[in-house]
Amino acid sequence: MLRPFALHRPRTAEEACELLARLGEDAAPYAGGTELLLLMKLGLLRPRHLVDVKRVAGFDDIADGARLTIGASVTHRTVERSAVVRARCPLLASVARHIANVRVRNVGTVGGNLAFADPHSDLATLFLALDASVELVSPRGRRELTLAEFVRGPWETARAADELLTSVRLAPWPASTAAAFVKFGVHERPTLGIAVALRLDGSGTGRARVVDARVVVGCVNPCPARAPGAEARLTGIALADLEDVAGEAAALAAASADTADDLHGSADYKREMVAVFVRRALRVAAARARGLPPGAGFPHAIIA
Amino acid sequence: MSRRAPLRVVGQPVPRVDAVEKVTGRARYVTDLVLPGMAHAKILRSPYAHARVTRVDTARARARPGVIAALSGADLTWCDPYFGPAFRDRPVLAIDVARYEGEPVAAVAAVDELTAAEALDLIDVDYEPLPAVIALEEALAPGAPLVHTGEPLAGHFADLSTLRPEPGTNVCHRFQWARGDVAAALAGADLVLADTFRFPPVQHYAMEPHAALAAWDETGALTVWAGTQNPYSVRVELAKMFGVPLGRIRIVVPHLGGGFGSKTYAKLEPLTAALARATGRPVRLAASAAEAFQTVRRCSARVSVRVGLRRDGTLVGVTCDADYDVGAYADIGPRVVQKGTYTATGPYRVPHVALDARAVYTNTTPGGAFRGFGVPQLAWALESLLDVAADRLGRDPVDLRRQNLLAHGEEFAPGDTPIDGKLEESLGRAAEAIGWTQTGAADRGRGVAVMLKASIAPSVSEAIVRLHADGSVTVLASAVEMGQGTRTVLTQIAAEVLAVPVARVTVVPPDTAITPYDQTTSSSRSTTMTGRAVQMAAEDVREQLFRVAAEHLGVPARELALEDGAVVAATGRLAYPEVLAIRFGMSGGELIGRGVVAPGRTAAPLGGSTPFWEMAAGAAEVSVDEETGAVRVERYVSVADVGRAVNPLLLEGQDEGGVVQGLGHTLLEEMVYEEGHLLNGTLLAYRVPRADDVPRDLECRFVENADGSGPFGAKGAGEGSLIPVSPAVANALARLTGVRLRDLPLTPERVWRALRTRGSR
Amino acid sequence: MDASAAREPIRLVVNGRARDLAVEPHALLLDVLRDDLDLKGAKRSCDSQVCGACTVLVDGLAVSACTYLAVEADGRSILTVEGLAEGESLHPVQRAFVDAGAVQCGFCTPGMLLTTRALLDDNPAPTREDVLHYLRGSLCRCTGYRKIVEAILAAARARGQASAPARVE
Repeated sequence: MLRPFALHRPRTAEEACELLARLGEDAAPYAGGTELLLLMKLGLLRPRHLVDVKRVAGFDDIADGARLTIGASVTHRTVERSAVVRARCPLLASVARHIANVRVRNVGTVGGNLAFADPHSDLATLFLALDASVELVSPRGRRELTLAEFVRGPWETARAADELLTSVRLAPWPASTAAAFVKFGVHERPTLGIAVALRLDGSGTGRARVVDARVVVGCVNPCPARAPGAEARLTGIALADLEDVAGEAAALAAASADTADDLHGSADYKREMVAVFVRRALRVAAARARGLPPGAGFPHAIIA
Repeated sequence: MSRRAPLRVVGQPVPRVDAVEKVTGRARYVTDLVLPGMAHAKILRSPYAHARVTRVDTARARARPGVIAALSGADLTWCDPYFGPAFRDRPVLAIDVARYEGEPVAAVAAVDELTAAEALDLIDVDYEPLPAVIALEEALAPGAPLVHTGEPLAGHFADLSTLRPEPGTNVCHRFQWARGDVAAALAGADLVLADTFRFPPVQHYAMEPHAALAAWDETGALTVWAGTQNPYSVRVELAKMFGVPLGRIRIVVPHLGGGFGSKTYAKLEPLTAALARATGRPVRLAASAAEAFQTVRRCSARVSVRVGLRRDGTLVGVTCDADYDVGAYADIGPRVVQKGTYTATGPYRVPHVALDARAVYTNTTPGGAFRGFGVPQLAWALESLLDVAADRLGRDPVDLRRQNLLAHGEEFAPGDTPIDGKLEESLGRAAEAIGWTQTGAADRGRGVAVMLKASIAPSVSEAIVRLHADGSVTVLASAVEMGQGTRTVLTQIAAEVLAVPVARVTVVPPDTAITPYDQTTSSSRSTTMTGRAVQMAAEDVREQLFRVAAEHLGVPARELALEDGAVVAATGRLAYPEVLAIRFGMSGGELIGRGVVAPGRTAAPLGGSTPFWEMAAGAAEVSVDEETGAVRVERYVSVADVGRAVNPLLLEGQDEGGVVQGLGHTLLEEMVYEEGHLLNGTLLAYRVPRADDVPRDLECRFVENADGSGPFGAKGAGEGSLIPVSPAVANALARLTGVRLRDLPLTPERVWRALRTRGSR
Repeated sequence: MDASAAREPIRLVVNGRARDLAVEPHALLLDVLRDDLDLKGAKRSCDSQVCGACTVLVDGLAVSACTYLAVEADGRSILTVEGLAEGESLHPVQRAFVDAGAVQCGFCTPGMLLTTRALLDDNPAPTREDVLHYLRGSLCRCTGYRKIVEAILAAARARGQASAPARVE
């Protein structure tokens, strides 16, 4: 049961921003509502105006190009099934398939997910590995922020009250990238999310080498974060040596994780799980690069 | 006369009689009911675990347009505001003090839910926080703050007339029982083991939250449509509360969306009835699922068990000290403690026993009945410790248990019903099904557990069966359909006795104005007790048919039989409509049969002899991801000794559900309190099993020796599948990894930590 | 308070029938279905999109009606459990649930049936893994799920046989 509000349906981004500027704290942008309406039911948010962005021109587009641009009101289901996404960034399509549950995927949006900045967001974790940036529009114009600049903390972003997230831009990996996403946890939201991407050159020659690495740790920190120590350790190694190096890289990722005790677990347990799942994600990525069949899964873990 | 013909519908997997209404969305639950002029209620709940309530001002709420009434505890001067089956210790709305976070402090009835919810914001409450006791240790510490001061009145159950509170403490009931000389027995034992186990507070999470719809009529009579498992108990509470004769209170029970004990005894009905009285209108109170976490839960427990065995594996003595956390109000906690502890020794022959259990108040959600009723907590302890004993004696755990199992016909306790089943058959079949004697995969471990539970005694069930002029049948009985299939089972029993098709029998939903007394739908008792009452009532009708037909046909009654809706004799056949026409001299009238099952008090230790023993075994095969501690139950077998499966399809479904619910508290579920505040009171943070948690191989089997006191040799079932799950899984984990965990749930982190302590293999 | 509670006219095509309503923006689809259209099959359980008891299909897609604004369904077609059967004859998915014994208290059942319908429309020959994936958001506390999964697989087989009798399984 919701408290009453007025629902506005702007047709353009300008109109939407003008509404947000005028209504201020009393207004909330609204797309799928899967996060917003839940908080409103719990009484944690009480906006008297909802600004529906789903009819804003261009917000539900997926555009291919040097970067892949996903509009803010594209649903997870659309991402999962998009031919463009499957071609340019197949891991994203897999991750989208496992967000929350089928009903949330049918209605929830990429923009809403990022703007909400739940620390347990699968997409935010993955997008950091894709060097994501977000575009924000306001009466003052447009600006682009990296995702790391945009997500400031748990449920906290750099979005001003009169700003709207219009799209997210991703730098898809070249086809010769070995990548994997693994999330682990018992609860409704994952306890841990790991994204790894290893850009390879010389793959297929038997002497493939990692020229660039992304290791992102999500859920256990206040925001998803890359693990630069792990990435550095992996850069330059031969794919054949990954098995030997994975443990070290995983330990480095764990050491840089900023964990705390909560219902998902103790800080030390979570830190250890970072190591375990970075290692496992790297192995999955390596197996994919070698064209090997997927190994067995792990209890309470989803491998995308 | 006895039948030798094979059973026709009993024992068949008859599709449940309410299946079509449920799959078409036509089944009605309390929140689907609408009465003209109905008001909607909302509850304002205490944010403190323990606080004096010094002022509740509802004036602003009452002034809001659309609000019809707003009540606080101080307003309830026109009724007895206290209720509770064991102690009448629970106020309808907090009076002077709030004893747990979530306790109802005020309530509003308004024209719609939104208005009622907004009105809650307009109620001003002044609280003075008081020191709270949350953990058992805190509540039991000398000088601990008291959750209750003063002497509450005892509630209305015979076996609880011997409630033993300990004044000046938070112990609201103490149950002690002893046999033989356990100190000497343990002193002389070759092996003595002791350990302490903990069982967490868990939430029933029935899919349908609590709800009630109450309306007073122009004659001053009250009707409540209640999502309750015991309409008659609710009736007693309301009659006492309002000073109205029992016959002027009517409780009607539509379908229940699950119960599992969460809907036993009065919960929201008193408040709903009070609001209906205050508003002069029907009032519907539909609590949310989150509010269920603030209404009732399972009694958590700390159980210390000591077992003594001879070298040859014979159990010589068991002591059990159990403290159960019953939360801020006793609810049925004292009986949980008493009845659960009574079978703390499990299904074994133990000559020397000392049991000591306490029901302890804490400032948390009240603990009440939950499937298993105190036994899961104790079986968790004893069945775990027995495996340790087996290990120490170098004995196979199945074998050690088998050696000590009570035999069919053996006494459990003086005055109580002898064991009415073959425990070794359940255990044997479970062990065989899991492949116990075959070498398993190196990465899998297997474990077993066995349980024994008494059903509530004494208890009463009455039933009426009506045979109509067209040969169709109505069954009046107050067993509540909450998914377990009782409506179908009672249909089958009546159809069997009266030899009519199932489709010609209607079981009327419970309605205390129409369906006669049934004590409770719980304790796995409905097939046995209510079923027996229905059987007797149907047999009564049968006897009446025989009397009329015998005279008409000139044949002794003993030469008559019922077949296909007719009385048959060698010389002729009279369809039921014909028999009734003969009896009444016209087309019309009906034959009414009555059945009463009331074994009464006995010399058994708990005041009544159990109508049957519920007994079951469970066997689990698990794997563990040692790096994360995640345990997966790969295979699980449950074998329940049910006497006769009246409906094997429904029974299998029940037990599959029981196993999975048991996996919940074994691996996933735990209500987490921090300084009196419940951290995970919604499904966003409280994890119940999903479809992908179910073991790939799950088998539920039954032992049927027709040795029960229920209809056609039936006994009760539905709790036996749940109780062995946690010790079977923990035993399997121990056999696989060498680690023994004592606290549930076996979360990945807990297992991981135990594995690290053990060191690498 | 200036938040407008003015009603908006919407048209929902519910179980094949057009229904014109005037609803407030904050009205949830679940309440409109249950209270305004007297379709009580969809239930409120967790009220937070986790359990699936409120599932209805909007333009063929499963949504949590408890967290979906009624105005969002304007112009769309909605399928509730009441729309599955054809007259008195049960839909194959309903029949499968009945036959498999996959119904106990029934409170999760409407949501389960509609989720199954959405699954089979999307993927007519699901594997057990596909079914478990779809059921991650559909809770049941009574059955232990085994018979529900069996019912869904049986419904898929029956559908497959009905539509393509010559198909090799």
